[in-house]
Amino acid sequence: MKLAWPRNPGEGGWVIPAAYAGLCLFSLATLWSVTEGIHGPYEIMDPGVPKSIFWRQVIWVAIGWSVLLTVRSLPLRWIEQGTPPFYLLCVILLAIVLVAAPVVQGARRWFDLGPVRLQPSEPAKIAVILVLARLLAAFHAQEKRLLPVTASMLLAGLPLLLVLREPDLGTSLVFAAIWIVAVFWYGLSWVLLLSLASPLLSAVFSFYAETVAGSPWPWGIYLVVLLAALTRARFRLLENLALMAANIVTGLITTFFWEGLKVYQQERILTFFDPARDQFGSGYQAIQSKVAIGSGGLFGTSYLQGTQKGLAFLPERHTDFIFSVVGEELGFIGAMLLVGLYLVIIMRGLQIALEARRPFSSLLAVGVVTYFTFHVVVNICITTGLMPVTGLPLPVMSYGGSNMLTSAIMLGLLTNVGSRSFET
Amino acid sequence: MPHTRLVQARILRAAILLVFGVIVVNLLVMQVVKHDEYESQSLENRQLRLRVMAPRGRILDRDGRLLADNVYIADITVPNRCLGKAGPDSTLEKLLTWLRLPRYETLDRLAGEQSSGRPRLTLVANAVMPQIAVIEERGRELPGVKVETRSRRRYLDGTLFGHVIGYVGETLPSEIGEEDDPDGYKPGDWIGRDGIEAVYEERLRGQAGYTLQEVNAVGRVVGRREVELRAVQSGQDVVLTLSQALQDTLGAAMGDNRGCAVALSLPSGEVLAAISAPAYDPNLFTSRISTRDWQALQSDPGHPFLNRLTQATYPPGSPYKIVTSLTALQNGEATSSTSFSPCDGSYQFGNRAFRCWKKGGHGAVDHTSALIHSCDVFYYQLGLRLNIDQLAVTARLLGLGAPTGSPFRGEAAGNVPDTAWYDKRFGSRGWSRGVMLNNAIGQGELLVTPLQMAVLTGRVATGLADLRPVFVRDPATAPPAASRPLPLDSAHLDWVRRTMRQVVDMGTGTRARVQSIEVAGKTGTAENPHGEDHAWFVCFAPAILPEVAVVVILENGGHGGAVAAPVAGRWLSAYFAQKESEKVVTP
Repeated sequence: MKLAWPRNPGEGGWVIPAAYAGLCLFSLATLWSVTEGIHGPYEIMDPGVPKSIFWRQVIWVAIGWSVLLTVRSLPLRWIEQGTPPFYLLCVILLAIVLVAAPVVQGARRWFDLGPVRLQPSEPAKIAVILVLARLLAAFHAQEKRLLPVTASMLLAGLPLLLVLREPDLGTSLVFAAIWIVAVFWYGLSWVLLLSLASPLLSAVFSFYAETVAGSPWPWGIYLVVLLAALTRARFRLLENLALMAANIVTGLITTFFWEGLKVYQQERILTFFDPARDQFGSGYQAIQSKVAIGSGGLFGTSYLQGTQKGLAFLPERHTDFIFSVVGEELGFIGAMLLVGLYLVIIMRGLQIALEARRPFSSLLAVGVVTYFTFHVVVNICITTGLMPVTGLPLPVMSYGGSNMLTSAIMLGLLTNVGSRSFET
Repeated sequence: MPHTRLVQARILRAAILLVFGVIVVNLLVMQVVKHDEYESQSLENRQLRLRVMAPRGRILDRDGRLLADNVYIADITVPNRCLGKAGPDSTLEKLLTWLRLPRYETLDRLAGEQSSGRPRLTLVANAVMPQIAVIEERGRELPGVKVETRSRRRYLDGTLFGHVIGYVGETLPSEIGEEDDPDGYKPGDWIGRDGIEAVYEERLRGQAGYTLQEVNAVGRVVGRREVELRAVQSGQDVVLTLSQALQDTLGAAMGDNRGCAVALSLPSGEVLAAISAPAYDPNLFTSRISTRDWQALQSDPGHPFLNRLTQATYPPGSPYKIVTSLTALQNGEATSSTSFSPCDGSYQFGNRAFRCWKKGGHGAVDHTSALIHSCDVFYYQLGLRLNIDQLAVTARLLGLGAPTGSPFRGEAAGNVPDTAWYDKRFGSRGWSRGVMLNNAIGQGELLVTPLQMAVLTGRVATGLADLRPVFVRDPATAPPAASRPLPLDSAHLDWVRRTMRQVVDMGTGTRARVQSIEVAGKTGTAENPHGEDHAWFVCFAPAILPEVAVVVILENGGHGGAVAAPVAGRWLSAYFAQKESEKVVTP
C-alpha cells in the first residue's frame, strides 16, 4: 500500500480510515478537556460536563469503527436492494416521531428507548442519499430529465418537510443540500439550478438590504449580476425576462411582508439573524462561542486551559459547540488541523465519486461528500457567528451516538464505493 | 458522461474550496487579526469589577467617646422573582421551614418590599448565626439565596444626640450617580440626611474601592486572583466639641420639658451640650423605619424633627433688656442710675396701658434694679428714648438677626426689625414709635433662635464680637479664635455683667444659683400668642472670667425664673462638680 495521495483508481483505501481515526482521537482529546473541571466549584446552574461523557464517547468510537468496517465490506448490491424498504422505514419513523415523541424544548425529534435515544432524522439522511442515488442511477441514460428530477425532489422533499415540522430547520436543510448536489451530479445544468434558486436569493438580498444595510443597493447589485449571468448563459429572451420578473417580485414581496410585521415579530426574526441583539437568550451561545474562538489566537490557550469553557461560559460545549473549544484551546493552528482532516475526507470522497464506475456508487459518494461538507461548514459557521444558531453537530467530533453512527455508516459507504471503483 | 462528470467535479471542488476558504479566512480574522479584541472580551467575561464600600467615618465626642459607629450585619436575601413561585418545593417554602420564620407575616412583608422594585428582597434582616449556617450548608438547594453583609450605622446614645448628629438614610433614586462614575452613589449606599451626618457627608463617606475578581458564567466568584483597582479609603472620623457626659447632664436637667438648651464654652464658642426636645432616635432610620413609626413621628405634636436650636424662633423676651440697656448706655440716653416715673404695674402710652409683669408694680427703680427685677415699665420709658435702628444695631452686634454660622442646614435668621423692615411691612405711615415699647422688652416682631441667644450671652460675657458657635473640632477648617472686641464701652458691658450677677443673687434668677460659683443670668417670660408663655433663661458662669454660657428655653413653660433657671442651675452644678473632680485627679 502506497502512502502517497492516490493518483489512480483503486489506490488510497487508507486515506479515509486514517482521517476518521484522526477525527476520533481529536474528539476524544477535546471531550477529555471539556469534561475536566478547571476552575473552582461547579455551579448549581451549570454542573459542568461529567467525565462519563468521555467514556461513553470511547464506546461510541469503538462501535463506530466496527460499523464502518462492516458497511465497507457489505456488497453494494445488497445496499442498493435494501434502499427502498430502508427509505420507507425512515419516512414512517419520521412521521411517527411527530406524533409519538416527547416534546423537548418545544420540538419532537427523538424516541426515548431507555439507554439510547433514536433520532430518525439521522438514518433518514442516509436513506435520502441512497434513494436519490438509486433513482437517479436508474434514469442515468435518459435524455428526458424532468421526470427523475421531479421524482427525486419529491423523495427528498417528503423527509425534509417532516423534519421541518419537528421543527428542525438545520437538519431539513441537509436534505435540500443533498438533493441539489445529487441532481447537479446527475447532470442538471448548474445554470438551470441557479435560475431555479435565484428567486430565493433575491428574497435573501432584499431582506438583507431592508434590515441590515438600510439601502436597496445590495438587492440592486444582485439583480444586475443576475442579469449579466443570464445574458451570458444561452437562454431565450422570454425565459430571461420571466426569471428577472420572478426575482423582482419575490424581492418586493419580501420587503412588503417585512414592513407589515409588528415590531416584536421583526425583533424575533432579527435576533435569529443577529444573535447579539439578545445577549441573554439564544444569542448568548453565539457570542460566547465567538469570544472563545477569538480569544484562542494563533496557538490557543493550550490544551485543558480554555477559560471560556472552564468557567462554564460556553453552553453545549461537548456537542454542537465543540469546535469553539478546539478554537479556544488549540487556536488557529488546531482549528486548521481539524478543518484539514475534514477536507481530506471531502476531497478524497469527491475523487471516489469521480472514479466510481457505476452511477449508483458515484451518486452515493457525492451524497456522502455533501453530507460532510454541509455539516462541517454550517457547524463552523454557526460557532464563528456567520450563521444563526441551529442545532447541527460536527460529524464525528460532537459527542453523541447518533452522530457517530451516521458518520461511520456514511464513511463506510464511501470507502465501500472507493474499494470497488475498479468494478463494473 | 465521464467528461461531463469531470467538469461537474471541478465545479463542485471549486465550490467546496470556496466555502472552506471563507471559513479559514474568517477564522484567521477572528483568531489572529481581531484576537486582542476577543481576548479582552473574554477577560471581561470572567472578571467582575466589585465595589468595596468604604466604612463611614465615626463620630466622637470631645473626649474621644464614641457617639456613632458602624456595625456589620448579615441579611439573608432572595431574588425578587422568588416570591411568585409557589409550591412545597419552592425555595421560599424551604426557607420558611428551615429558618422557622412566621409564615404569613414574612410573606406579607416580602410582598410589600416587592412592590418597591428592588431586585433582591431581604428575607431576614440582621440574621443570627444559626440562620446563616443553614444557608451556608444548604446553599446548593437554595439557588439565588445569599447572605449579604452590610454595614449599618449605630448611634450609641440614641435620642440624646438626635438633632446634633442627625441620621443617615439609604440613597434615593435621584441621588444615584452615573453608572461609570466611581465616586457616585450606588443603590444601598448610606447618605447623611440631617445634622452633622449631612453636613460632613463628604468627609464621613470616604471613597469606595474597586477590585477585579474572577467569576464564572453565573457571576459567582471563583479562584483567588484578585486585583485591586483602587484602594478603599475609610471615611474620616468627625470629633464634636460636645461632651457626652455634659450632654447627658443637660438632657437630664431638661427633664420631660419641650424646648431647647445649649451650653457654650467661653471664649472658644465650642458647644459643650445642645438639646432640642423632643428628639427622635436616629437608629430608627438605619433599619428601614416602618411606615407606622414614621407617621407617628411626623404627626407628633411636639415636632421631634424640628431642630429647635437653629430652626425654631421665639420672641426673646426679657433677656433682650440687656440689648436695650446697652443701646441706651452706648447712645448716652441713660446711665446706670437713670430713673423714670415709678412702676405702678402699668404704663399708659396713647390710649393703651402697657402692663408690667409684676401686677403690683416695682415702685421707684433705677436702671440697675430695673434690670435686676426686670421692670417692664422702666424699659417702656427707656425704649421711648431710643429709636428702632439704634436698637437693631446693638442686637445685630450681639449676633441676632442673622444665622450664627452653625453647620446645620436650614438655620433660621430670626428677625431684628428696623425702620426699613417696619416701612416695608406696614408702610411708612403704618407704624409709630409705639413699637419701641414692645421692642424694648423683647416682644413684638422680634424673633431669635436659642443658639443666637447663646451667642448673645457669650458675646456679652466675653466682650468678643466674633464669638461663634463651633460644633466640630476640625483643625483644618476651624475658624480663628475670637479676638475682636465688641465696639461697646467696656464699662457698660461690665455694668451689664455685674447686674446679671445680681439677677441670680437677688433678682428673678435666684433659682440658677450654684454653690461656690458666681452665676450671671437673665430670666425671661416671652409672651406667646399661641398659648402659654415661653420660659427663657440665659446665663454665664463664673461671673468673673466666664467659662460657659448656658441658654434654656422651655416652650409654654411659664416663668423663666421659676422653670428655666433651675435647668441651667442643675447643669452648671454638674459642670463645675466635674471640673472640680478632674482637678483632684490630675495634679
